[in-house]
Amino acid sequence: MSTTTSSTTSRPKHNRQPRDIGKWLTAAWSWLVVIFLMIPIGFVVAHSMNGGNSFNIWKEFGGLKWYRELLSDLSLRATLINSFKAAIGSTLIAVTIGALAGVALVRKPGRWTKVFLLLLLLVMVTPEVIDGFSLLSWFFDRGFNRPFETGVFGIRGGMIRLWIGHSLFSSAVVTLIVRARLQGLDESLEEAAADLGAPPARAFRQITLPLMAPALLAGAMLSFSFSLDNVIVSSFVGQDSSTFPLYLLGTVKSSTKPNVGAGGVLLFLVTMLFAFVTIRVLRRSGDSSGDIAATIAAG
Amino acid sequence: MRRLRAPKYLLALPSFVWYGFFFALPVLLMVVNSFGYKPAVGEKGYVRLDKLSFDNYRDVWTDDFRSVFFSTMRIAGTATLLCVVIGLPVAYYIAIKAGPRMKGLMLLLVIVPFWMSFFVRTSAWKIVLSEFGVLNTFLVDNGIRNAPIDIIGTRSAVMLALVYNYLPLMVFPIFVSLDRIEPALREASKDLGAGRIRTFLSVTAPLAAPGITAGAILTFIPMAGDYVTATILGGAKGNMIGASIYNFAIQGQDVPKGAAAAAILIILILTVVLSAGLIVAAIRYVLKQLRRVDIPEST
Repeated sequence: MSTTTSSTTSRPKHNRQPRDIGKWLTAAWSWLVVIFLMIPIGFVVAHSMNGGNSFNIWKEFGGLKWYRELLSDLSLRATLINSFKAAIGSTLIAVTIGALAGVALVRKPGRWTKVFLLLLLLVMVTPEVIDGFSLLSWFFDRGFNRPFETGVFGIRGGMIRLWIGHSLFSSAVVTLIVRARLQGLDESLEEAAADLGAPPARAFRQITLPLMAPALLAGAMLSFSFSLDNVIVSSFVGQDSSTFPLYLLGTVKSSTKPNVGAGGVLLFLVTMLFAFVTIRVLRRSGDSSGDIAATIAAG
Repeated sequence: MRRLRAPKYLLALPSFVWYGFFFALPVLLMVVNSFGYKPAVGEKGYVRLDKLSFDNYRDVWTDDFRSVFFSTMRIAGTATLLCVVIGLPVAYYIAIKAGPRMKGLMLLLVIVPFWMSFFVRTSAWKIVLSEFGVLNTFLVDNGIRNAPIDIIGTRSAVMLALVYNYLPLMVFPIFVSLDRIEPALREASKDLGAGRIRTFLSVTAPLAAPGITAGAILTFIPMAGDYVTATILGGAKGNMIGASIYNFAIQGQDVPKGAAAAAILIILILTVVLSAGLIVAAIRYVLKQLRRVDIPEST
């Protein structure tokens, strides 16, 4: 191993090398992949403005007529509203229990941590078909689950089931994001607040909570978009509260109309807006794009 | 004066209850159901449990089903490998070669398609691939092919859409693991005389391994359970196991058989993941033995 010591001086410095082939090759490849990823998005946007009656076959430019139809067709509008209701409810559940669990994982670690992380891992890696199917038998097969079957307080059973079903994966993601964020924070800030006489609740409210706010927002954004997107779990539990993806699943065998694209674009814009606000907040709190990606990839 | 101390897991208690009641117990119930039998017509409920047997497993494990099971594993496995091959260079470029501005832009471009509804962006491939779709029109009009090829309904179409739908889930974890590698490590390797390829193989790739593993798990498991992509693009030929479970549960109303199919799916996924893990561990062990460097003891 002693032969390598003198070699550095004879080699040219890498920043003077004329071309980094690896960089250009991977860059070209990456752009090809990005184009591949963008192809369907472009077609969805274009065909949502199709003048013809089919989503698949382009006829002529038809302007925004399918967007208008989206809002005038009452049953279709109801599915969009259901999608938002499901997303908001499951996001609230996921952020609440996920934030609490994330705080507990970092601040009160103990023997329970291992058990909990294992449970979290199982929740995250279980395929949605299994989640959906097991919830189906759970909700409809046992008498003590009556509220989930018929609904309570004027909320339909299907909506409650969607909240529950969608919140499982999302809350696990929120937990991991909050955990990652708090691990990066200095506990001495809270200790300083305590030394200055702040009771734990106040130290938490005034110090910890603002510091973890970006993580909560990022978790909320992800939960929201997962829920809007969910087809598989919904198809098992959402019986009396059809969401937009369920409506689409129902029409898959018949000919698809361009309103599919219009609805897709609408949900896309809402998610994008939410995402850009989140990215701005994360940037302000000092995250690099790498940190943000790590947050989105859930730690 | 000692006050009663709250247990450390207090804040995680809501999550424990939530996952216990809506994840662990339902999955357990599903497994129990798989040993029951379907009640006769007119009887209440989905499952009778007074006689437990392996009959459902035997009924589900027919030749037809075996071929569906194995084709599902093959499709999901191949699509996972394709995701690694396609995604690794992209993640490598974004994490290591791209400048800070380009990094943010590329990350955004990779994640943006993910915010378009899963169902709608999968349907959009029909626009491109169907018999009178964009691709066929192009091929026929330019005389590359005489007659249109119908790609919809084939395994290739399902594979393409699976890779498309899950690729960002592969790129992000690999990116995160590569992004965390200190540039100094690679420079040190180069300074010690390693070429680019050697540096990649012996420094970058091993450090990226956890990201590749995470990405493979994140893509393989949901793909194995995904039935929506196959429903939209596959027709009858691309039947996936998830679709069978859905058909048992919703259309056939035969919950016990569906439960048996779901249990087999879980076992198969675990088998594939564990054996892949063992193979990777074995390869790493062999490589380590081959590359071992003995440092003489200093006295």
